[in-house]
Amino acid sequence: MRLELDILNIKDVQFAEKTTISDRVLYINRNELQKLLQQDKRLSKVDIELAHPGEKCRILQVSDVIEPRSKTSGDGEDFPGALGKQGTVGEGNTCVLRGTAVVISNQSRSRDITASDMGEDAMGEIIDMSGPAAEVSPYGKTHNVVVLPYPTDEAGLDEYKIALKIAGLKTAIYLAQAGKDLKPDETEVYDLPPLTEVAKSMEGLPKVAYIFQVYCTSFPAMAGEPILYGDNIRRLVPTIIHPNEVLDGAIVNPYHNIRGCETYVIQNHPVIKELYRRHGEELCFVGVIITVSQYTEPERERTVAIAAKLAKSILGADGVIITKASGGAPDIDVAQAAQRCEEIGVKAVLIMYDVASGSGLEPMSIIFNLPGARAIVNTGNEWLTLILPPVERVIGTPVTLPSGISSNGELIKALNWLAGALDQEGRSKIISVRY
Amino acid sequence: MGAGFRVVHYLNQFFGGIGGEEKASAEPQVKDGWVGPGKAIQDTLKSRGEVVATVICGDNYFAERTEEATEEILRLLTPCRPDVVIAGPAFDAGRYGFACGQVCKAVQDELGIPAVTGMYEENPGVDLYRKDVYIVKTAGSARGMIEAISPMVNIACKLVAKEKIGKPAEEGYLTRGIIVNEPIDKSAAERAVSMVLAKIRDEPFEPELESPKFERVKPAVPIRDLASAKIALVTDGGLVPKGNPDKMESHKSTRFASINIKGLNALSAEDFEAYHIGYETAFVNQDPNRLVPVDVMRDLEKEGMIGKLHETCYATAGVSTSLENAKNIGQGIAEQLKAEGVTGAILTST
Repeated sequence: MRLELDILNIKDVQFAEKTTISDRVLYINRNELQKLLQQDKRLSKVDIELAHPGEKCRILQVSDVIEPRSKTSGDGEDFPGALGKQGTVGEGNTCVLRGTAVVISNQSRSRDITASDMGEDAMGEIIDMSGPAAEVSPYGKTHNVVVLPYPTDEAGLDEYKIALKIAGLKTAIYLAQAGKDLKPDETEVYDLPPLTEVAKSMEGLPKVAYIFQVYCTSFPAMAGEPILYGDNIRRLVPTIIHPNEVLDGAIVNPYHNIRGCETYVIQNHPVIKELYRRHGEELCFVGVIITVSQYTEPERERTVAIAAKLAKSILGADGVIITKASGGAPDIDVAQAAQRCEEIGVKAVLIMYDVASGSGLEPMSIIFNLPGARAIVNTGNEWLTLILPPVERVIGTPVTLPSGISSNGELIKALNWLAGALDQEGRSKIISVRY
Repeated sequence: MGAGFRVVHYLNQFFGGIGGEEKASAEPQVKDGWVGPGKAIQDTLKSRGEVVATVICGDNYFAERTEEATEEILRLLTPCRPDVVIAGPAFDAGRYGFACGQVCKAVQDELGIPAVTGMYEENPGVDLYRKDVYIVKTAGSARGMIEAISPMVNIACKLVAKEKIGKPAEEGYLTRGIIVNEPIDKSAAERAVSMVLAKIRDEPFEPELESPKFERVKPAVPIRDLASAKIALVTDGGLVPKGNPDKMESHKSTRFASINIKGLNALSAEDFEAYHIGYETAFVNQDPNRLVPVDVMRDLEKEGMIGKLHETCYATAGVSTSLENAKNIGQGIAEQLKAEGVTGAILTST
């Protein structure tokens, strides 16, 4: 399959009378977009705000970030299954508005939100457009179109959470369609033939596959939540997917997987891009396996065994990279998957963040000790904090904590709560070190 | 630096050449230049620095009047104008390790002068001072003197030059427990692919996170007579009375709650909920018995399968809780269970 991402490097985003792109400025007809999104009966209204790099602006309650993209040729719909029509993606041309991002801000009624949903406090995940948080997150550097949907009184919480995601996806497509007839600034090509041909002329190269854990069932996907081609894959048996499908909208980041992964990261998947980069030179990229972390037995053992077997006996991998969804329970799955792979002759490397929160004297960066799961790359410590300076503007629902700290003031926040600061898919260029 | 920097060396009575254990009450004193192992320091330093003086103190003297001894030692070394203080190495000697650590810390805190020492990993001085002072990892006895001196001098030079001290394994000191997120030029994805290629080619690689060492815990003796046993329910699923009046943590827990379930046949969603960020708590909020099965335990109590359900349920949250806190929480709960005559506990968690 050959996928061409036609990139337009957008330098600014503004509201205007007509949605169009001119001189690489994205102009948005706010009313038109709002009307489009407000068609969703689960929503009472949708606000749209813009946030630019360098502004003293803070976005609260971030629920997902999506790169504006739309298919301009090839077989698929955009985000097929998630938005109704089925299909597959990963081929042909897709227009990409680089330098911009759709940020979804969760405006549900706070009384329904559980601790597990909220995170540390009612501010939720945060994006700062300037200052130390902006430096560590890609979303502090993109022109952000912030979508703030509000639920109707009748909409249930789960219904709203899905409507939230759909609003973000629709916005991403709507914006990208403004670029569909423009000549791209650059094109990224992703071309990988089927398994029967991929190793041709690469017989001497090591075969490497990627095992992508999409989410963990300790936060079960909601009924109707669109994750893989619109399905909530709660009972997913590990399966093979073409890397281009991951890059082109087959997978939407699950609602509960916000800590450490956004749809934006999946669209620009760092491990997939890196394997492509070295394909044909140092390795042969043989494919991608997707899994869901299961928190019960025998589901976990079954998932681990099947994923390892797919890597070895179907993809013929000599080695795998394994990544995990956010949280602690998924660590066990990926550690066991690595162990199983090693046992059957497939070398395994894990990518994860450092969860140590106490004194660094305890080696508690990870919670497992398996001989086959020792090759680990770390993406930073999630609990180290940054001091975020006060801001002049807040997008989302302002919050004042019982301590008196308010969301527009100076905040001390762990990287875990800053959208984009930490990801477990390999993007980040920070590493946790002990002295 | 022309003449090189000035070093003051701290030694105990033995290495200072005053005597053995019988001289352990020797008062603090100062001698010009190097003494005993100070020669190895000077030889390693070469022209970079000079051991201008050596302060010697008996280990017992120091241990018995620590504050006084510390002040005296500071008074003795101040006029020597050291740029850095090197203490020991103390190897496995406990009192000596304590003195070295304390002297180094005092020199840093009170005089603003950098310091470095050396100890065997199991020296009790290590746990006391590793967070505050660079402690080079040494052998268990003075047979390891030569190997200890070089890293100690190396760190001393870097401290004087205000150069960055590298990682523990590189520089030879015991980890101080500081965790830092540092920028790195290659992304994690790039490093991971390189690591898997190295593994495939059977080449060495450097894991970036270390596995913990789990202790083997001997299980308790099984309960012989369940029908007369008192069983308690314990959870790390974050059970709290509704509204979380005790403000229990939802993650990085430091304590546990003792929840009264006396007389309750089941947990009601009106009175209890889960406060925990590590799993979807909505299902527990709908029916808390899904997390802490009081309802089932009462049935078993009525049937006579167990003797009694303990009237207190112990709860905490977990989620990135540090090992130290987890140990304290576990021990705290265990003590309470024992005091209450509980013979078995069922841990339900997420």
